[in-house]
Amino acid sequence: MIPWPPLVLAVWGLVLLQAWGSGRLHVLLQPDFHALVLVAGLVLVLLALAGLRWPAGISRRRPAPAALVLLVTAALVLAVPPRPSLSTLAANRGAADPGNDGLTFLLPPEQRTLTDWVRLLRQQPDPRLWQGEPVRVSGFVLAQPDGPPSLARMMVRCCLADATPISLPVRWPPKDPPPAPDRWLAVEGVMGVERHQGEERSVLLVRRLRSIAEPARPLEP
Amino acid sequence: MVCLALMQPSAEQLATAWAIFQGLLVEALPFLLIGVTLATLARAWDPRGRWLQRLPSGGVAGALTGALLGFALPACECGNVPVARRLLASGAPLAAAFGFLFAAPVLNPIVLIATWAAFPDRPWLLLLRPLGSLLIALAVTALLLLLPESGLLTPDLLAERRLVQPLGEVSLLERRAGLLGPEAALTPPAAPGPPAPAALLDHGAREFLELGALLVLGSGVAALLQTLIPRDLFLALGQAPTLSVLSLMLLALLVSVCSSVDAFLALGFAAQVTPGALLAFLLLGPVIDLKSLSLFGRILRPRALAITLAAVALAVLIMGQWLNLALL
Repeated sequence: MIPWPPLVLAVWGLVLLQAWGSGRLHVLLQPDFHALVLVAGLVLVLLALAGLRWPAGISRRRPAPAALVLLVTAALVLAVPPRPSLSTLAANRGAADPGNDGLTFLLPPEQRTLTDWVRLLRQQPDPRLWQGEPVRVSGFVLAQPDGPPSLARMMVRCCLADATPISLPVRWPPKDPPPAPDRWLAVEGVMGVERHQGEERSVLLVRRLRSIAEPARPLEP
Repeated sequence: MVCLALMQPSAEQLATAWAIFQGLLVEALPFLLIGVTLATLARAWDPRGRWLQRLPSGGVAGALTGALLGFALPACECGNVPVARRLLASGAPLAAAFGFLFAAPVLNPIVLIATWAAFPDRPWLLLLRPLGSLLIALAVTALLLLLPESGLLTPDLLAERRLVQPLGEVSLLERRAGLLGPEAALTPPAAPGPPAPAALLDHGAREFLELGALLVLGSGVAALLQTLIPRDLFLALGQAPTLSVLSLMLLALLVSVCSSVDAFLALGFAAQVTPGALLAFLLLGPVIDLKSLSLFGRILRPRALAITLAAVALAVLIMGQWLNLALL
């Protein structure tokens, strides 16, 4: 007889612990929730061990359908890691409100992240204020329906289900074709001004760019 | 366009849906575990339901008490289903259990603090969200109480409930086990006194398994649909008084995020939609969404579930519409 309930608890405990230990959670969840997943994984493993130590005496030859669903799902989750296409995700959603957390005008321009820049431009949208400031940011390429692709990051409050994009307009080097969506790039340049739909806006003028690997923590809290 | 996307999802869309599915599941499972743990502790503390049966049984008083239990047992919409199921299985009054089921995901300190943190500049939302949630719980509970218990609760839950209900309240013929009926000879009567730890553990594990499998189903549907249907479709109707409320209700159903963080998600599009639509999003999602809909199937029969869904939707629509009339 196989004790199915403790077995399924153990497997899902290990799935949660694997997600925590392997860094997979950084692709799925906001960091505030990581400790919760770790504790839940440990509790499930402990409950499974307790279930094996003190069996209730009701065992079945075959697993219940629910146990089967959970076992198959756990196997698939372990076998197929999450590799979301951030540009597909972003294209499906409206732009995020990055809020004002950590907004600072004192930070040297070249130390500002893409999120810092988006926050600044929301707070002080006058593009002349930022013209000529050096920019050094990284992000993924996000296709835009009404112009060249922008450089973006995903902001997440809870999990991928609520992830929404923030992005900077970019003027890519004219001699090269625009980069393909989802590519991660480190971009250096200066902030410029361009006219878009009748209004002036800030735009990142690229001086130098290079491909980078997708960061271990692709989501911005 | 939506139909085309539904029929021919690209490899990127499938990969993204798979990642969203994992995100929803990994985020919801700890809350489900908290809910099942609370339910198991309640079973250990009060196995015959003597204390829980003393909760007020009147429609309004019962629902109010159940709703306020959320402050004592903070759980989101995944965690509160096993707790509500335990209340019902312990013989607690229907009104109290339904009041808890429908209102606790909003009427708890975590959700109220999160709402305040996300919308400090909208004090009316901080007042209307818990108030609206309470009104919905009262209205839906009153409606469901018109149905007999046998038409409301799933057969398994009803059988469990019958076993602990006082003999004066339930006919012997309604008991499926214990004293009379075809299963009486097969199923021994429940042992008096607290259940053994092994039995508690086994019961809790099985409950977690059954609800977990339903959560897999709900998360899968929610992940697939929200990847294939562009969110802008819902926000496009942002300023239309009635349509914006309806579209944000659909979005809440689809997105299926936990009630403790949905206010932060709403912050992203709050400026694009009417106040009524914003309130509707924050009221409907915590009560019911695609992820929790399957979990509700462990408590309510399909007809009762359909009535619940329709009543909640109607109540939210009326409140959203009323707010738009008042503020726009």
